[in-house]
Amino acid sequence: MSIELKKALYNISALADLGQAITSESVFQQKIQSVFYVITGAFLANKGAILSYDKSANRLNTLTQKGFSPADMDRVDPEKLMSLGKNEPCLIGDDPVLSVAGAEILAPLWVRDEFIGVLLLSGKLTGGPYTEEDLELLNVIAHQIAVALNNHSLFIDLSDKLEENRRLYEEMRHIYHGTLQAFAAAIDAKDAYTQNHSYRVAKYSAAIARELGWNEHDIEGMYVAGYLHDVGKLAISNELLNKVTPFTPEERAEIRKHSTTSHNITSKITFPWKNVQDMVWHHHERLDGHGYPEALAKESLSDGVRILSLADSFDAMTSQRPYRKKMDVQSALAELKKCLESQFDNKIMLVFCRVLEKEIRGELPAPDILPHLDRNSDLSVISSMLEAIIQELSAP
Amino acid sequence: MKSVPFSVASRLVGDAAVIYPKGYLNNLSGESLVKECGIYIGRGITKIVVNFSETDLINSIGISLLLQIIEDLKNIKGTICCTNMSKFLRDTFKMLGLIQYMVVFPVESDALKYLKSGKV
Repeated sequence: MSIELKKALYNISALADLGQAITSESVFQQKIQSVFYVITGAFLANKGAILSYDKSANRLNTLTQKGFSPADMDRVDPEKLMSLGKNEPCLIGDDPVLSVAGAEILAPLWVRDEFIGVLLLSGKLTGGPYTEEDLELLNVIAHQIAVALNNHSLFIDLSDKLEENRRLYEEMRHIYHGTLQAFAAAIDAKDAYTQNHSYRVAKYSAAIARELGWNEHDIEGMYVAGYLHDVGKLAISNELLNKVTPFTPEERAEIRKHSTTSHNITSKITFPWKNVQDMVWHHHERLDGHGYPEALAKESLSDGVRILSLADSFDAMTSQRPYRKKMDVQSALAELKKCLESQFDNKIMLVFCRVLEKEIRGELPAPDILPHLDRNSDLSVISSMLEAIIQELSAP
Repeated sequence: MKSVPFSVASRLVGDAAVIYPKGYLNNLSGESLVKECGIYIGRGITKIVVNFSETDLINSIGISLLLQIIEDLKNIKGTICCTNMSKFLRDTFKMLGLIQYMVVFPVESDALKYLKSGKV
């Protein structure tokens, strides 16, 4: 085989090496380093550099290099390179404009009309000249490097945009949660007896949703619905909300409007979560169809509504109200159990009991329900009761 | 065919370092060869024997790394001997003109004898 043929085969194999380096799954810097080795290995150049163009700063950044000093690299002027042929290798010779100490050849890197950077190489170790074949090979290599650098730059731009979107989304979430807390604080300010009720219902509801295996996004939606379920009470007078004596039928009707008002208020907000409005609207519905405001029954009630209904009732029962004392946890659990099928859902009750049982056993790192229960509660009694309910509801 | 991951071993024989690359010299893991030689050069060793008995193939990346070792030794007026080379390696080095920067021997012992003789 002639030496020319062997050299041609070596060049073809170098191009294959280049393709492999560019398309490898390595991180970008490793890719560029491999590409750089392929080039210096193909041309036996003992000095070389790949520089990328930073459009915003109008300067070239060294991605990798061998044999040049940082001062040499700083002298490379992008403006002068842009006037040269796109991806066309150019022998520097004695050109004072392009002169970089030790560099013999350069190739400006372009993708379409975008200047991407430059490839610099010294003379060959063997002292031989760059041949026409070498220039052709370098042209092909320059095209490929330019595309690879451009792709990386596009990827970085996209990643930056994605990061920015993520940051904006987080900011939006903070604003949402801040707004929710403000709403909840406004409700609490009207009714001293229900202080932190919205917060606790939100926590209990989210805990049940989590135990049901919901994804984080939907759990957050459940939490938000819990926070806002009573926002309609803002439209009810303080006198009525804090009334100690039993409500008249008219007053009860007025109070019952709050879930529809909650729905009307939340309907004005475009939430990133599904069904928040539906959950706040129907949290006083019952499985037997005797709830309000629409007297919906069973199939019409989503799991979210059922969760909110149970969490709201449990917290209402275990909290002090103007017209009655708070119940202990056992009595509240007994009341919920008594109302299964008619008012509350068996599955949701089972899951609620499981969460509370896990929290009592210390199996959950951040309990949501237990910290809000009466500190004087006898946890062993509650635990036995929960076990019995779980057993009963788990039976086929 | 699954390629063996590239690795390097070495030993000091008198005032010469013998380097044993193992596997296909075709990616960044080959940098360990340059690093190994660099350690000996850093200690003042100027004679290096690279025994290629377990490296049959090399690509442009491997050539670039070898070029680095040749350059490093050239800068300190050192000598690189290459031994136990496959026909592919010999032909590649010859075709690229690299052979003139190394002293080639069929086996490692010949290279060590040569370096010991002080003909360098």
